[in-house]
Amino acid sequence: MTLPIETSSSSLRSESACRGGALGPAARGHLPARAGVGLKPQHFQDILDSPGELGFFEVHAENYMGAGGPMHHWLTRIRECHPLSVHGVGLSIGGQEPLDAAHLARLRILLARYEPEAFSEHLAWSTHAGAYLADLLPLAYDGRSLRRVCEHIDEVQMALGRRMLLENPATYVEFADSTMSEADFITEVVRRTGCGLLLDVNNAYVSAVNHGCDAAAFLAALPLEAVGEIHLAGFAVDRDAAGEPLLIDSHGSPVADAVWTLYEEVLQRIGPVATLIERDHDVPDFATLAAEAGRAEALLCRMAASTAEVCA
Amino acid sequence: MKTTANHATTFGASAAALALALGVALTTASAPAAAQDMDKEKCFGVAMKGKNDCAAGPGTTCAGTAKMDHQGNAWKYVPKGTCEKTASPTSPTGMGQLQAFKEKKA
Amino acid sequence: MTAHAAFAAALLDPDVAVPAGLTAWNGVDPMRRFAVYRNNVTTALTGVLADSFPVTQQLVGEDFFCAMARVFLRAHPPRSPLLHEYGHDFPAFVAQFEPARQVPYLADMARLEWLRLASLHAADAPVLAADDIAPLLADPAALPGLRLALHPAAAVLQSAHAVVSLWGAHHGVGALAEVDPYAAESALVLRPMLEVLVLRLPPGGGIFAAALAAETTLGEAAAAASADPSFDLAENLALLIRHGALGALRSSARN
Repeated sequence: MTLPIETSSSSLRSESACRGGALGPAARGHLPARAGVGLKPQHFQDILDSPGELGFFEVHAENYMGAGGPMHHWLTRIRECHPLSVHGVGLSIGGQEPLDAAHLARLRILLARYEPEAFSEHLAWSTHAGAYLADLLPLAYDGRSLRRVCEHIDEVQMALGRRMLLENPATYVEFADSTMSEADFITEVVRRTGCGLLLDVNNAYVSAVNHGCDAAAFLAALPLEAVGEIHLAGFAVDRDAAGEPLLIDSHGSPVADAVWTLYEEVLQRIGPVATLIERDHDVPDFATLAAEAGRAEALLCRMAASTAEVCA
Repeated sequence: MKTTANHATTFGASAAALALALGVALTTASAPAAAQDMDKEKCFGVAMKGKNDCAAGPGTTCAGTAKMDHQGNAWKYVPKGTCEKTASPTSPTGMGQLQAFKEKKA
Repeated sequence: MTAHAAFAAALLDPDVAVPAGLTAWNGVDPMRRFAVYRNNVTTALTGVLADSFPVTQQLVGEDFFCAMARVFLRAHPPRSPLLHEYGHDFPAFVAQFEPARQVPYLADMARLEWLRLASLHAADAPVLAADDIAPLLADPAALPGLRLALHPAAAVLQSAHAVVSLWGAHHGVGALAEVDPYAAESALVLRPMLEVLVLRLPPGGGIFAAALAAETTLGEAAAAASADPSFDLAENLALLIRHGALGALRSSARN
């Protein structure tokens, strides 16, 4: 429970570059309860041409860890005008080995450079014995995992000097060694570390279907009061060996209706929260993606019609 | 420009040769780009793409479970791309003639 | 062996049995479920290599490239979560990959594409402009000992094959059938503004620029490049200056 104090109060930036910019300096500090999309290089110019259309952008931390060049150039310009969420995929918080100190140091430099409103990582592992496996791999939910994950999150929050959000995973297998449910595991991690929850509604749905559970019940068992951001994405449908549906968290299609329904239920429970449309494969043009974000924005707006920040 | 090349060759890397070449280089380097012959060799930019994401691959049907790939003696692939359209001095047709690879057993 | 060690080993090698202790709610064999992870790892990493080495892939076709990439990734999984750094040792692997030897210029194409990717992410730094160089002419005696380093985003590839022409032909510059792949070429890769460019260096230019990149003195670099009788020092200097290929200036005492 060594929760560091948020230290990004002095993030005033030049507004001159933001024609009709989405935010003034006062909006800094947390993500607005609006809809955003994952930032893709093919959309850089479109975004600069239409500032304010979306509430925020999210980047995968590792894609901006090169020394220099156009990725940093464009992110710097976009960040000047928009709230930013940095989403790590490579920290391996669920790993059985110590965290990669070099990677944590890179994260600290990246966050110091861009001062994002949110930083999140996954309840998963991706590195073992020095090999990075480029996937978010599942872990058994037992006491040992719980202690390790909490130690790692404490270490991350100390090193970065801020609270992080932990994302619930999409999984395809379960472990005989697990002694608690995923919801109980996450609840305990949040309680012990003070981290927030990045609630991926698509992951919740995918995992619930893949493990024969009820998604709404799973969501209800999560510590929803700790949600700092929501992810929505599309899945692909496969089959397991028995012919039962096996949903794949593919981020390659629009958000499914079942996931929209669950999202609405979550909003009714906790009110409007910054919501990201994730799309990593078959990425459509910016207008199409922005329109999908607009659907989330409309729901957020309806949930908090009295909040000027949302409907302005 | 050829005269400076001759200087550079004759005098190796003498101060005089370098000064002359650098002087000429500064003059030509500041000429309008359109007049520069090397610009025709300029090619296109790299398509920027973030390599890390947190999405799963498309389905279970792909190659992650193919067992034979890493066994050299089972290699069944032959290069079948644009290399077939490049000139090959060993081919009577002038085009690449590619053979299925058979690895020698150790 | 820890649980994650067993999981990781089975991910990368389909001949290794699915790790023990996996379950599924309906009691069905978890093999097909575990295959999702195997697929994710392989698809992600072959995808990264295909993105980073697109012309290399076009030269041999998707089937051959993906199969070659799978052999590579199983022997050389990433050592860092930064996937834009993955594949730095892929060109060396291609060079010794027996089935690829029928395309002798394939490894150099991979080297060129790697240099392009490295250039894209290289550090930002000021270029050495003509105005910075002009004052140096006031002291000609210091010129042979001058070290003109390349910009961090600039790199040279000396090839026994026509890598630049082959690369260009895959981007609409010149016809592939008219390229003689066995004509030696040297490439200069650089990032003058925000885009990575490839230039074909004139004769001796590869030796000259590679010598500068190795931080030899201007005098030594020029002498080395003069081994090529058509080397034109002024032309090569002009090209490097005009395209912003030179970086920080460091002089050194003559010895």
